[in-house]
Amino acid sequence: MTKQKKLFAFRMKIISICALFGFFLFWYLVTDVWKLAPETLLPSPLKALETGITKWSVKKPDGSTLPQHIFASLRVSLLGFCFGAVIGVPLGIMMAWWEKADMCLKPVFDFVRTIPPIAWIPIMIILLGIGVVAKASIVFLSAFIPCVVNSYTGIKSTKKVHIWVGQTFGASKTRLLFKVAIPSALPYIFTGLKVSLNSSWGSLVAAEMLGSDSGLGYMIQLGRLLCRADLIIVGMVVIGIMGTILSAILDFMEMKLVKGAV
Amino acid sequence: MSKKNQRARALAYGGGTFLLLLFLWEILVRMTDSQIPFPTPFAVIERFVDMLFHNVGYYYTIVGHVLWSLSRVLAGFCMAAVLGIVLGLTMGWFPYVRAIFMPIFNLLRPIAPLAWIPLAILWFGIGEKYKYFLIFIAAFVPFTLNSYAGATHVDKQLVGAAKMLGANNAQVFFEIVVPAAVPSIFSGAQVALSNSWMTMLAAEMVCATEGIGWIIIAGQAVNDMTQMIAGMLAIGIVGFLLANGMRLLERRCLVWNNQGN
Repeated sequence: MTKQKKLFAFRMKIISICALFGFFLFWYLVTDVWKLAPETLLPSPLKALETGITKWSVKKPDGSTLPQHIFASLRVSLLGFCFGAVIGVPLGIMMAWWEKADMCLKPVFDFVRTIPPIAWIPIMIILLGIGVVAKASIVFLSAFIPCVVNSYTGIKSTKKVHIWVGQTFGASKTRLLFKVAIPSALPYIFTGLKVSLNSSWGSLVAAEMLGSDSGLGYMIQLGRLLCRADLIIVGMVVIGIMGTILSAILDFMEMKLVKGAV
Repeated sequence: MSKKNQRARALAYGGGTFLLLLFLWEILVRMTDSQIPFPTPFAVIERFVDMLFHNVGYYYTIVGHVLWSLSRVLAGFCMAAVLGIVLGLTMGWFPYVRAIFMPIFNLLRPIAPLAWIPLAILWFGIGEKYKYFLIFIAAFVPFTLNSYAGATHVDKQLVGAAKMLGANNAQVFFEIVVPAAVPSIFSGAQVALSNSWMTMLAAEMVCATEGIGWIIIAGQAVNDMTQMIAGMLAIGIVGFLLANGMRLLERRCLVWNNQGN
């Protein structure tokens, strides 16, 4: 890198930091200094920060501390996500590898796929109540679909040449699947896992808002009912942070497991 | 001949599985004597046809509800398209714009659109504006990300050639970068459309007095499983038509681009 380029990059970094700082400053000015918005609608950043810190130990007003909410949400989303991955990935692989499974299941799957997981929430609530199982099945549905789609595409896009080479060397069909098709599909499968983690985290929030008694979605929903915008903002920030952490974990796993990934 | 044969075989297998599942559903409903009035597939289809001609709720048939929902999706989607494409393209091409807006965008992006629901209701009330805002947020992120990616992955040689022929920065932006980013923008639009369709459902389920999400939640309120499943059927059909319409539009508009196939 030349000196000029380095200087330019440095200047850009300064501008970025200033922009972020300006964003919070503007928020602070609007709420605390100019008083343009009532505190019930948009609390100042300081107030939100304060609520975020005290919420770690205080149960008011929604009955659980922040770690309890986080734990409840994590439990449901990881449960649904794991089931979705454990069932979805093999199903996708099977559909792509065996022609008969493809012909039988693809139309049904394509039909189910068009209905967003959120639309299942009322039915699940009627059938399974508002407990962990109902929410986990919503998360399961939203995690399951991208897993199937991506592993299907991954297996289908195995290079024909690689399969031919395997066949020439006398590999059986199962051996071809495990030694050629699945390793070459791994990047796709991981993309599917990442997508499904994101969408399961999103639909979990919706499931908790529509029927629940704990969890981050419940917390922000209650914040709305009580006009506690600071609580809502804390919840939103935590939801964002947790989502980022979860996808970072998957990124790390992908880096370790997938060979030759970009 | 063999291709035709294979098609017929695929149809037979797929249709067979479908019929088998429907049959299983019917049998299971008839065999089990559950407390919950779970409908048979025939009841669902009958109700669906009935909904086409008679009002669900007081004012609209299911077509009216679908149109309400689509109007919301359209409003939010269009706002997001305009703002998202402008922001994404300028962020991708002008380093100053990127330096200013990228950190703020990255700060807000990880928050799931559905997590905005409570705040949006506090800010905008439970009317139409709140739904537009939510759908806007859901569609804005994929639009911005994909236009950004499109603008940053422009062929360097094209830009170099244009500059050598004396184009200034604005000309390069409008003549080279914008057209080159269109395929990427279209794939963003695809994601944005399905995102906003889903978010619209959630928004209507939380509070609405009409719309396709309302049909389901109203069914839940009176424990009417048939209405809920018929509503889901309608959601599936409209969602399918939307996604395929978008794909068709992409293929029509981007004949020159083989990514569109």
